[in-house]
Amino acid sequence: MASVELQNISKVFGGLRVIDNLNLTVPDGSFTALLGPSGCGKSTLLRMIAGLEQISDGSALIGGVDITHEDPARRKVAMVFQSYALYPHLTVEENVCFSLSLAGMPKAAQKQRAAGVAKMLQLEPLMARRPAQLSGGQRQRVAIGRALVRNPEVFLFDEPLSNLDAMLRVQMRLELAKLHKDLKTTMIYVTHDQVEAMTLADQIVVLEKGKIQQVGSPWQLYNQPANRFVASFIGSPGMNFLAAKAEPSAQGLSLTLVDTARVQLPAHIMATPQSVELGIRPEHLHLVAAGAGDIAGKAVLVEYLGNTSYAYIETALGQVIVEADGLEGIRPGTPVGLRIDRDKAHVFDQSCMALSRA
Amino acid sequence: MTAISNPTANRIRRINLAAGALTALIVLMAVFWAFPIYWVLVTTLKPEQDIVRPGFDLWPDRLTFDAYTHVLSNTQIGQWYLNSLVTAGSVTFAVVLMSAAAGYAISQLEFPGRKLLWWLILASFMVPIPALIVNHFVLMSQFKLLNTWAGVILPQLLAPVTVMIYKQFFDSVPKEFREAAVMDGATQMQLLFRLYLPMNWGITTALAIITFIGAWNQFLWPFLAVTTQDKMNVTVGITQVTDAFGVKYARDLASAVLAGLPVALVYLIFQRRVTQAIMLTAGIKG
Repeated sequence: MASVELQNISKVFGGLRVIDNLNLTVPDGSFTALLGPSGCGKSTLLRMIAGLEQISDGSALIGGVDITHEDPARRKVAMVFQSYALYPHLTVEENVCFSLSLAGMPKAAQKQRAAGVAKMLQLEPLMARRPAQLSGGQRQRVAIGRALVRNPEVFLFDEPLSNLDAMLRVQMRLELAKLHKDLKTTMIYVTHDQVEAMTLADQIVVLEKGKIQQVGSPWQLYNQPANRFVASFIGSPGMNFLAAKAEPSAQGLSLTLVDTARVQLPAHIMATPQSVELGIRPEHLHLVAAGAGDIAGKAVLVEYLGNTSYAYIETALGQVIVEADGLEGIRPGTPVGLRIDRDKAHVFDQSCMALSRA
Repeated sequence: MTAISNPTANRIRRINLAAGALTALIVLMAVFWAFPIYWVLVTTLKPEQDIVRPGFDLWPDRLTFDAYTHVLSNTQIGQWYLNSLVTAGSVTFAVVLMSAAAGYAISQLEFPGRKLLWWLILASFMVPIPALIVNHFVLMSQFKLLNTWAGVILPQLLAPVTVMIYKQFFDSVPKEFREAAVMDGATQMQLLFRLYLPMNWGITTALAIITFIGAWNQFLWPFLAVTTQDKMNVTVGITQVTDAFGVKYARDLASAVLAGLPVALVYLIFQRRVTQAIMLTAGIKG
């Protein structure tokens, strides 16, 4: 087990800076997810830690040891690739033992290590098969086994579940969580799927355009987003944003939603009046009778999902989404009122940063 | 059941007739192609005086293996086979090994001059080998390698097309395999021999077979490089099966059959691989 520290690291591809002066600490034994949209640099960052990409600037430390210019094999990290990268000409056992065999370990010792891994990941009946004879989930387990057999100090996962179907993904997610609980090894997990990040990680790093937007626990990212990007990226359906004019008031902050109601929010720190955006998650926006609430609107569409429903409401401020149970009776065109849950509202200033609460 | 309408039945009949005619034509062409081979085989099984007798015998009146017995017992064909086997085997081994290594280096390694090297290999593909034959002869002569196995082998090691094929295949190996192996601690040699080559065994087999057949059938260079009978390849050696009393058709053809037999066997056994190799060398990736 080891912590990972990235100090002012950058990555430049032909003049394009894809990782820009990034600092990050991955605590020892943590499960850290690198989350962001496609092209945000999360996989590049993982590959820099793995040693598969040169670090253009800055330094990387694993367990306090500078590994910036170290060979990938000597960094004590193991990686599970998105495509699994199982060697097609080798059996499962040979795949698992490949690194040990390269290191010149005696065959008997290799088999013993492989057997231990196979037992942990329930690979025993598959050891003589080739990758082509395995299902997606089994291949995934073999890829994890191949990483596990090396006893790494840090596990790196590059979108390992993205090739699996929805049901298998849930199952593998549980297995990964269990694996982390059992091994307590530092794991860094790249994903663009916020559900994977929220359910697996104890620390999430949200990236956009090669820069960290926020580092925090899943609870922090959801409930205390640092900026508009994080607020919009985390949560599905996404947060509603309503343009407003804000000014400090005795109660906290007084928001005037453009051309409509005035909303008083609990104390947010703001020095001078300015244009802002009010952010409110779909489940914190409540449907009330027409004429009541903070904003008037008209139902456009209701999506029934079984455990919940999404109502799309057209307002003077644009379309918003409301999430609640029992909305399915609402017909398109029905006038409704919307009430904002004050305690759950977020305010973003003109630079898209969240106003902190007093 | 509905009866098939007359126009439909007529159409089917017309199609069957056309297909039948086409099949007959193909069979006829195949017979036309195979007849000389048949005629060679039949001739080798006839006594010499029956061959020169006027007339057209499709089957020998008197069946004899004298021609084969004579070639096998009175010539150095055993030695020629050995020479062919050693030279063709060495050429195959060296060409495959060097081409794989060169293809791997050009495809996977970053080094100064990589592109230049690649263009040189491509350019060498444009130069016909016979155009270099005088230079090869002078070079081998200066190295004192004429009338040696090495002298026969070395000039045949120029095989840009196999380098190109290996490069093409190594290019298409997903980079994750390489990266996974690098993280597992593989060196470049281990990457080549434990990953890239085993993952492309089919190509190696196909290229090895076609290189072997090509080297076995080589005539011009072994003919120039070797003048002593005991160092001749079988293709060159059979030109020595002559007689002071004129042409002996059965013996000449028997030696030709014996010379071609190993290649024919290799082809029959590895037919599918050879076809694949021909497609590869023609630039059609199978």
